[in-house]
Amino acid sequence: MTGCMNELLGLIQKAYDIDPASIDPHQPLADFGLDSLALAELMFNIEDHFGIDYPESRANVHTLAELAQVVDEVRGAISLK
Amino acid sequence: MNMRDVVISGLGLVSPHGDDPAVVFDALLKGQSAIAPWSRDGTAPAAVASVDFSPARWFNKLQLVGVDRVSQMAVAAAELAKADAGWPAGLDGERIGVFIGSGMGGASALEDGYEAARLGKRVSPLTVVATMTNAPAAHIAIRAGAQGPAYTYSVACASSAVAIAEAAKAIAAGDIDMAIAGGAEALLVPGVVRAWQALQTLATPDATDPSQSCRPFDTHRSGFALGEGAAMLVLESREHALARQAPVRARFAGSGVSCDAAHMTKPDAAGQVRALRNALRSGGLAARDIGYCNAHGTATRVGDAVECAALRQVWGDDIDALRVSSTKSMHGHLLGAAGALEALITVMTLQQRQAPPTATCTAPDEACNVPLILGAAQSLPSLQAAISSSFAFGGTNVVLAFTRHD
Repeated sequence: MTGCMNELLGLIQKAYDIDPASIDPHQPLADFGLDSLALAELMFNIEDHFGIDYPESRANVHTLAELAQVVDEVRGAISLK
Repeated sequence: MNMRDVVISGLGLVSPHGDDPAVVFDALLKGQSAIAPWSRDGTAPAAVASVDFSPARWFNKLQLVGVDRVSQMAVAAAELAKADAGWPAGLDGERIGVFIGSGMGGASALEDGYEAARLGKRVSPLTVVATMTNAPAAHIAIRAGAQGPAYTYSVACASSAVAIAEAAKAIAAGDIDMAIAGGAEALLVPGVVRAWQALQTLATPDATDPSQSCRPFDTHRSGFALGEGAAMLVLESREHALARQAPVRARFAGSGVSCDAAHMTKPDAAGQVRALRNALRSGGLAARDIGYCNAHGTATRVGDAVECAALRQVWGDDIDALRVSSTKSMHGHLLGAAGALEALITVMTLQQRQAPPTATCTAPDEACNVPLILGAAQSLPSLQAAISSSFAFGGTNVVLAFTRHD
């Protein structure tokens, strides 16, 4: 597992008590209880944690793998600056 | 139209005295006050009745996303009321309503949002859904699968009394069969407490014993103690309750509503008289039928005297048969949830035929010349009917009437 995935799993565990081992990153977020409100809060936490602006154009993610991909892209763009 | 009889089949609460109705009522009968000193973030000391509440019993962390303390306590009280009612599986959701009163809604989330904005920080994306006044009703409806009306009433201190009255009307009219009705309030946050302090209606904290700060009907009364919590009743049509062999706690006899249409905060005896008479008429009751009144009794100088004058006017020579107490002396003023908590206490008074005292009133004011229950609980062995009064800022007066289910 590369990039920010472990940190994302850690954030989710801390905020929602969801065991990282129970999460398949390619499973829909809704399957482990993250509805649109929880996702909005998670993105807010992600922005704080990583010090990034999550792009609104990429808000429509369905899996944790997609979410991690966006975060890695944004962080990559930041580190390249 | 034939109106259906309405009964109360479940009681639930999250209150300054706890979340077990029997324990709470016993504490009230013993005259035990839950009012204590409070101060936060430099707020001047206040006497308040707060709740030792953990949401962990009712929500996992994921379920708590965007759920303010007011909704947490509302859900807890509703779940307890459902359990008390023996809430069955397989109900028709469209025949169930939710009727909730709240003065402020999510005060903590609102204050946190303002604080973040003021400090130039980002505001939580869930501030709106946590703050909106109908959030408690929505959360209760989701949990109960209640697909009928889910209404929220914000009528200041009468909010949840209005909610219960409206729920009963909907059941009586046949619109629904069951309702979860009550109120929730959780506004013990610095900004809100400061606003109430500025209005100068709060009790001066008693330097010797802060628990005795709120003294309804007493010569030395100085105002009320802010409280928080939630109280819920399960109401249903009598036929529905009997068909499912529900535990009937009392009968909802009727309600009376009026508006002073006179002043934003100053109470008006004429308006209260109209509400009291409307409640008696609605319940097919005479004044002499009522053995107990759980008074609005906020311990303001003007309010208590006006309320007693209204009672004397309606009861006339029958006033000697009435017994009056204000339990706000012990559980504080739950504002939007006050009417529901006091309705619950009134139902338990009917059930047990024991009425709680205004424990903190030791020197009754001559202007409050009604038969007050002072010092200790009073046994009322022939009690058949009781009322609970809620008189709101804005001038709305609500009186709920209950009778025993014998």
